[in-house]
Amino acid sequence: MREKSDKFNFCVRAAGAYDAKKGGNKVNAIEIRGLTKSFGNKQALKGLNMTVPAGAIYGFIGENGSGKSTTEKLLCGLMPKNGGTIRLYGKDYTNPDVRAKTGVLIESPGCFPGMSVWGNMMLQAANLGIANGEEEVGKVLKLVRMEGAASNKFKNCSLGMKQRIGIAMALLGDPALLILDEPINGLDADGMRIMREVLVDITKDKNRTVLISSHILGELEKIATHYGIIRDGRMLCEMTAAELEAGCRTYISMQSSQNSRAKALLSGKFSRVEEDESGHIRVYDAADPEEIVAYLYKNGIPVSEISREKIGLEEYYIDLMNERRI
Amino acid sequence: MRGTSKKPNRIKSMLAVDFRRMFTTRFLYIMMGICLVMPILILVMTTMMDGTVTIDPQTGIETVTEGFKNVWQTIGALPGEGGMMDMSLTGMCNINMLYFFVVILVGVFVAEDFRSGYAKNIFAVRSKKYSYVISKTVVCFIGSGLMFVSYFIGAVIGGSISGLPFDTAGFGVMGLFMCMMSKLLLTAVFVGISLLVSAAAKQKTWLSVTGGLMASMLLYTMVPMITPLDSGIRNVILCLAGGLLFSAGLGAASNVVLNKTSLV
Repeated sequence: MREKSDKFNFCVRAAGAYDAKKGGNKVNAIEIRGLTKSFGNKQALKGLNMTVPAGAIYGFIGENGSGKSTTEKLLCGLMPKNGGTIRLYGKDYTNPDVRAKTGVLIESPGCFPGMSVWGNMMLQAANLGIANGEEEVGKVLKLVRMEGAASNKFKNCSLGMKQRIGIAMALLGDPALLILDEPINGLDADGMRIMREVLVDITKDKNRTVLISSHILGELEKIATHYGIIRDGRMLCEMTAAELEAGCRTYISMQSSQNSRAKALLSGKFSRVEEDESGHIRVYDAADPEEIVAYLYKNGIPVSEISREKIGLEEYYIDLMNERRI
Repeated sequence: MRGTSKKPNRIKSMLAVDFRRMFTTRFLYIMMGICLVMPILILVMTTMMDGTVTIDPQTGIETVTEGFKNVWQTIGALPGEGGMMDMSLTGMCNINMLYFFVVILVGVFVAEDFRSGYAKNIFAVRSKKYSYVISKTVVCFIGSGLMFVSYFIGAVIGGSISGLPFDTAGFGVMGLFMCMMSKLLLTAVFVGISLLVSAAAKQKTWLSVTGGLMASMLLYTMVPMITPLDSGIRNVILCLAGGLLFSAGLGAASNVVLNKTSLV
């Protein structure tokens, strides 16, 4: 196992200190402290701390069963908590004012299958007490590219369409806080592309705070400004996208016709050299690609391809889960 | 802008949802249709069967089937006959069966919220569950009222077809009206019972319905005694008080159940 690096130590910061560093006097959209929840003998949340600054697009990441959905359901008041505090915009999460500011999509959209998309949307508009329901519904359906399917029965919609309807429902009445649980899951490539465009559109409004949990980290990376990684009911780390960017290691990726020789040579010179699945050699902690080219050339090994790369959120997350970084 | 942050708006918006759901989906109309057809079938068939003799092949005992003597017997017990529910044909096949349909209406209506996941939309913007309980009680009470009206119309049609007398001797039109009012007000109790069971059963429709039917069984046997055809204002007041007290008490219990249990 690799030694802990100062470069990555920001990751293991206690979540409680996070807002003090980041927020100043600004009220956080979500502030969770010591949240616990048990289902029978199984403790799903073990004193979870979480801070989502107002205006952030917060990517909530974790393995299956790590407690993401439980946290989101508790945030939405859909189940009673065992302990801890949840504050939304500085107020207790049960406060009707903050509840009315929340838009949610938990697991699947809550729609009546026999009713049309429009009917379901109008029902939600009535639920939210929106006066100009038809106008609002038309607006959000357009935003999620569903205006042409308004007359379809909900049960006849595809999974991707249903998820977009769910997002449209959550967006009704312009909520300040949007909680989306796995909105991309189960979608095909086209559905994912449309959903990505929708997510980009709805997160353009910088006054809206969005909490998105997802397994598809590549997609999340494109929109998130903050990240929280949960494991086994505890917050492993919280960071901003800038911190992730700074913390993610750079490496030199190269390929040669004599890969195995090149790897053996480079291993003697650099501390960490690996070959990835695509047959590229990764040289970590190398300052300069030119240095590597010169070194290999001197030893009679030609380099066919070389570039400087940075590990993405997905790799970073996998590394973290494998406890390579903490 | 959303308008659910203020208390009156929360109840108003919840009522808007439930009224829209109750009156734009087919379920209520199917129930009303059943309630309309049921007395027609009861009156026509029992009139045809009236006086028929059946002999038990094993014991040889003869039983004479007694049908209705008066159309309004399908609404309430004739003066002097009111008591606990009996097992006779006329004692079983009458308007009181509608209380079971009320339980089914409430059970299915509430369970559908949870089965479809719509409950998430409701409770994510409402931390106080009482608006849900109040709205469901009011809307289901009105839906039940419409089922009773359908039954009454069906009884009139059935009476006309079967040729039974519409005789109001001994209780009068006012007595009939008071009887109907009493029965109607009593539905609030059944709505309350069913709502509590449904709040506990969540998406399990079968549990909502069977649990509601079982929980309301005891009260069901007492209904004919409380609401005879010669009911007066005292019966109406008694049923009103009972309806209010039970729906408030059971509503409070439903509120506690919703607050203490998972809604997904």
